[in-house]
Amino acid sequence: MNRQILQLHAPKMLLLTLLANLSLVAGFAVGDPKTWSEIEWLDVFGEGGGALMVLAWMALILGSRPAGRVSDLMFAGLALIFLAMWQDSLDEFVKIPKSQWWDTWLESATLPIGMALLTLGLVHWHREQLVIVEQLRKRERHFREHTQVDRLTQLASVEYLHQQLNQELRPSREAGLPVSLLMVDVDRFDAINRKFGHTEGDRLLQAVAQIIVMNIRRTDLVCRYAGDRFAVLLPNTGETLATLLARQIEQAVRHFAYKTSQEGETLYHTVSIGIGLALSTSTEELIQSANRSLAKAKAAPVRKQAA
Amino acid sequence: MSSQSVRRRIRPDWFDADSAIIPAHHQSAHLIELIQNRGYSDHRLLRHTGLFVEDIHRRQAWITPRQFLKLVGNARQLDTSQELGFVWGSRWFPGHYGAASTLLYEAGSLAEILATLKRYQLLLSPLLTLDIIEDDRWCYLVWLDGIGTGSQRSFLIETTMSAVSSLSAWLAGEKLPWKYALRSQESKQRAPYDVYFGPQLRFSQAVDAMIIEKSWLHQRWRTSSDIVTTVARSEADAELQRLGPTHGFVGVVYRHLFRNCHHPLNLPQVAEHFGMSAPTLKRKLKHHNTGFQALFDEARLHTSLYLFHIQKWNVEQVAEHLNCRDSTNFRRLFKRWTGMTPSQFNADLIHLQ
Repeated sequence: MNRQILQLHAPKMLLLTLLANLSLVAGFAVGDPKTWSEIEWLDVFGEGGGALMVLAWMALILGSRPAGRVSDLMFAGLALIFLAMWQDSLDEFVKIPKSQWWDTWLESATLPIGMALLTLGLVHWHREQLVIVEQLRKRERHFREHTQVDRLTQLASVEYLHQQLNQELRPSREAGLPVSLLMVDVDRFDAINRKFGHTEGDRLLQAVAQIIVMNIRRTDLVCRYAGDRFAVLLPNTGETLATLLARQIEQAVRHFAYKTSQEGETLYHTVSIGIGLALSTSTEELIQSANRSLAKAKAAPVRKQAA
Repeated sequence: MSSQSVRRRIRPDWFDADSAIIPAHHQSAHLIELIQNRGYSDHRLLRHTGLFVEDIHRRQAWITPRQFLKLVGNARQLDTSQELGFVWGSRWFPGHYGAASTLLYEAGSLAEILATLKRYQLLLSPLLTLDIIEDDRWCYLVWLDGIGTGSQRSFLIETTMSAVSSLSAWLAGEKLPWKYALRSQESKQRAPYDVYFGPQLRFSQAVDAMIIEKSWLHQRWRTSSDIVTTVARSEADAELQRLGPTHGFVGVVYRHLFRNCHHPLNLPQVAEHFGMSAPTLKRKLKHHNTGFQALFDEARLHTSLYLFHIQKWNVEQVAEHLNCRDSTNFRRLFKRWTGMTPSQFNADLIHLQ
C-alpha cells in the first residue's frame, strides 16, 4: 500500500471518522450503557470485526488507486457499510430507546444504499480495468501476475518470458508458424551509469522500455531480460519481418533525444539487437540463439557510437 | 595452562570472522544504498547486523566479516531478483576506498588493475582471496574463500567477478573477452549471467576463475601518472599496515595446506603449525563455516589442476606428488572432488578456452 496515494483520500477518511464518532457520542447521550453481563460478546465480535474488516478493505482499495470518480463511489459504498455495522455493534453496548428513529435508520437503511454504491463503483472499476488492460496488452499478453513484473521498468520479468515462450512455441511449431525473439541491449550502458549515476541509468532504461513498447505490434510481448537487455517475443513472425521490426526499434531509439534529470542535457543512445528464430527449437535454445546473435551484433567492426 | 597462555600471546597473522577490519562505508554502503533505492526498509536490511545507517555516514565504523555476511544475507532475502550481486559488483570499483581506489582509477592497463587488486585485496575484496596464475597463453584470476563465507560464497564470487569485469570494461573502453568458470551449479536463472558475463561461461567447475588471454594484460589504454601512482601506493601500504593482518583465517589455513599438500598432512600437525590444539583448530574452522577435510580436498584439487594445466604434468606424476598410492587411487579421489575423471575434466576446460 502506498502512503502517498492514501494521503490523497485524507479528507474523506476524516469525514468518516467524524461521522463514526458523532454516532458514538449521540448513542451514549440518548441511551443507557449496558452492564457487563448484558453484553453479547459473540455479537460484538461478529459485528465489530466485520466493521474493522470493511475499514481494512477501504484502506487497501484507496491505497491502490488515485483519486477520481471510481474511488469516490467505492469509498462512499464502503463507508456506508461500515457505518451500518458500526451502529449495529454500538447497540451491543448501549440501550437506545426505540423513539430514537435515527438509530434504526442508520442501522438498516445505510447497508443496502452502501452496497448499491459499491456495486456501481465496481461496475466503473471494471470498465476502467478494461482500458488499463488494453494499455498493458504489449506488456502482459492475456495474463497478469504481479510477482512477475520487473519493478523498475514495469515490464514482465524473464520468468514470464519463459512461460509465454513455453506456451507459444509448441502450437506455433505444430501450425508451422515461425516465432522470433529479439534481444535488445543498450550500447555502453555501464558508461552511462558511471558518468551520470545509476538513477539516471535507471531512468534511461524506463524510457527505452517505453520506446520499445510503442514500436511493436499489439500481439508482441516485451520483457526485461536482465540489466540493460530487453527481450521482445514476436509470435507468427519470420526472419524478414523480425529484422524489419528490429531495425525500426533501432531507429526509434537512435532518434530519441533523452534529457538527463539534473541538467536537462540531451543524450542520444543506440541499441544493438540480436534475432533468434524458432522453427523447431526449445525455449532455452531460442533465447540463447538470440543472445548469440546479439553478441555478434555487438562485436561488429563498425560500432555505432553513442553521442 | 601456561602453554595455552603463551599460545594466546602470539599475535596471529590473520584476521578472523569476528575481527572488525572492514570499513562500513566501503562495499557495504553500496549494498545498503542499492537496497534502499529498491524501496526496502533499512530496518529489515540491518536486522541482526549490529550496524546502523549513522555508522556508515560517520565513516568511522569498522564491521566484522560476520556482520558483512549477515548484511549480504539480509539483502538477498529482501531482493530476490538474482541480479543483485551483478549490479552491486558493477558499483564496487574504483569506489572510494582511499588510495587503493586511486590506484584502480589511475591504472593504465589490465596488468596494473590486477596488481592493485592482488596487493590491496583486503581493501578491495575483503572476504575473498585472489590468486593470479599465468601459463604461456592465459592469465587466470582464481578467487578463494578467505574467511568462511559459507552459503554466501557463490554470491560474493559473482559480485566480485562482475566488479572486475565492469571496471576493466570501463577503463579499457570496451568489454574485455573474459571467460568465466564458476563452481556453482548451472542456475535456472541464466539471464543475468548472459547479460553481465556473456556466453563464455561454464558452471560446475573446480575453481571460481576469470580467464583472459595474456595479450590483453599489457595493452595500454592510457598513460598513468607516476607521481600519483607512487604516492597512492605508499598511502595504501600505510593503510594496510594500520589494519594489521591482511589475510583471513580460512585463507591462511588453505594457503598452508596448498603449499604443503605433497606431504601427508593431518589435523594435529596443522594445528601445531598454527600454535593451537587440534580441537581448537577444528572448532575454529567450524566457526568459519568450513572444516579441515574440505579445505585439504580443495587444496589438493587446486594443486592437481595447477600441475595438470600449468605445469603440464600427467596423472601419474600428479598422483605421486600428492602421495597417492597409485594413479587409480588418485583418479578415484579426483572423481570424488569434481564428479569427473581428470581427462574428462581437462576436455571440459579446454572447451572453455
